[in-house]
Amino acid sequence: MKRVNSTPRPGWQAFAESVGFNFHTFDGEPYWDESAYYQFSLQQIEHDLEQPTEELHQMALDLVADIVTSEQQLQQLAIPEQFWQAVRDSWQNQQPHLYGRMDLSYNGNGPAKLLELNYDTPTSLYETGFFQWVWLEDQLMRGALPQGADQFNSLQDKLQQAFAELNLAQPFYFASVADSTEDRGTVDYLMDIALQAGVNCRYIQLEQLGDIDGQLVDLDGFPIQGLFKLYPWEFMLQEEFASTVISSQTQFIEPLWKCLLSNKGILPMLWQKYQGHPNLLPTFFDDGSTLKHGWVRKPLFSREGANIELVTNSGKLFKQDGPYTDSGYIRQELAPLPKFADSYALIGSWVVGDSAAGICIREDNSLITKDSSRFLPHIILD
Amino acid sequence: MSNIFKRSKAARLIMMVPAAGLVLAGCSEKQVEVQVFNSPDECAAYYNPPAECKAAFDEAQTLHPQVAPRYASQQECETDFGTGQCENAPVLAANNTEQRSQSQQSSGFFMPMMMGFMAGQMLSRGGMASAPAQPTASAARSAVATQPLYKSRDDRNTFRTASNTAVASKPGATSVRPSAVQPKPATLAKRGGFGSQAAKRSASSTGG
Repeated sequence: MKRVNSTPRPGWQAFAESVGFNFHTFDGEPYWDESAYYQFSLQQIEHDLEQPTEELHQMALDLVADIVTSEQQLQQLAIPEQFWQAVRDSWQNQQPHLYGRMDLSYNGNGPAKLLELNYDTPTSLYETGFFQWVWLEDQLMRGALPQGADQFNSLQDKLQQAFAELNLAQPFYFASVADSTEDRGTVDYLMDIALQAGVNCRYIQLEQLGDIDGQLVDLDGFPIQGLFKLYPWEFMLQEEFASTVISSQTQFIEPLWKCLLSNKGILPMLWQKYQGHPNLLPTFFDDGSTLKHGWVRKPLFSREGANIELVTNSGKLFKQDGPYTDSGYIRQELAPLPKFADSYALIGSWVVGDSAAGICIREDNSLITKDSSRFLPHIILD
Repeated sequence: MSNIFKRSKAARLIMMVPAAGLVLAGCSEKQVEVQVFNSPDECAAYYNPPAECKAAFDEAQTLHPQVAPRYASQQECETDFGTGQCENAPVLAANNTEQRSQSQQSSGFFMPMMMGFMAGQMLSRGGMASAPAQPTASAARSAVATQPLYKSRDDRNTFRTASNTAVASKPGATSVRPSAVQPKPATLAKRGGFGSQAAKRSASSTGG
């Protein structure tokens, strides 16, 4: 694994916008960054990332089966009690899931360490599945990359296959919050792939979802039988329409049981069940005491690096403020992100259905990866 | 586990990357022949098979509580549809037929009684040539839903759809533009029940 400097394609910004990538720059700072790429060997990809991803995924699914029957664990995950049965039902009725992303700390040697599961509303999907793929093809065509360079990225193929096989209600609706360009980009990408798989797709803003006698309806008042929602379950379960989640005859993607896995409380539970597993870090529910050197504190619910507190091995404290202060916390042993040039790199490893489907790399100037962290492409070359 | 390539074979986009020259067919809408009746018996009297008349009537009746205009009071309803012409509107449970037929609980709203029905598919008339003209792709797209019809207080001859489109003034065959008679649920939905957490936290994304 190494970082290789590279010349950006001339005019890539205009091209990006022409293919729907409207968030390639974030607050004036580059988000998509092709001034460098990461290079892996096939052995690193298959042995250190692909295989552990599928194993960790399976371990997490096995844990769901335990949790739905344990009131204590549902409580530890702060799932509101009135939804316990619905969570249980969604799992026991085998409501299908589409995708997820796990974040890994990996430096090219030794086992990758699982930092967390983004199993409910993972984004950076379009950048991974489409734009990164196009970058590779473009650079191969220009001769800017060695012939034979490949990429661990079967995301779009696998998503299309999943949409074709999921047997979704038709028409199938996709919802995201009104004022997020990034979320809209993710949803548009999924809709595009679903459309290619023959799904009859409709978009609706999340805020426009209607409720008639407990049934979710679209803007014309028609019942919504299938809904992909790029909106966290833990939010939905505390909002005005929370009870509609139970009463509505609607197939949700991701299904309700995914709220157990997107919750950071899953990490101490994984450690408890599979203590010593090479891809897991010692993790516990937080007892509120002072953080020791080499540990990280994270809220049960938080996104984009918000509200994370980290003490390095040498005792240096890093803190990221944010809006997620209303839940419990976990503490996890620090697996510092590897530093390449002046940046720390995080690997996101995608899962579609139950298969590993590719990776994305985010770089930040600090040890905490945030929504403003840069996205860099990668190649496989032996 | 090793494949030849670790990446997608193709990454094509059809919606986010609009292909040049792809224009929606915006041709003018053709009229479609339908039949309207006061009752299944009347329908059968027009040389239609009684079973098909009954089926069309039942279909319309099932749709009736879902599409009939709703009023907060009986008086408001009768102002539009006439004294004694309104009934309690049931609570609509989900979109599941079984549940729907079981839901007899009153919602507190009122709706006009169903006064007839429109058979959207051509009924195959007994003994007569039954095959409708070539069911082309465009004909399939313009199919009209079988639906309930209503009559207003001031105009007892005219059959109207739930959204108050006049379709005929006597029973039998008539022509309609499909888009004008597309049934729509009449109930008012509550909205805005999701999204408040995102607004409160004002992050750039609710994903991660």
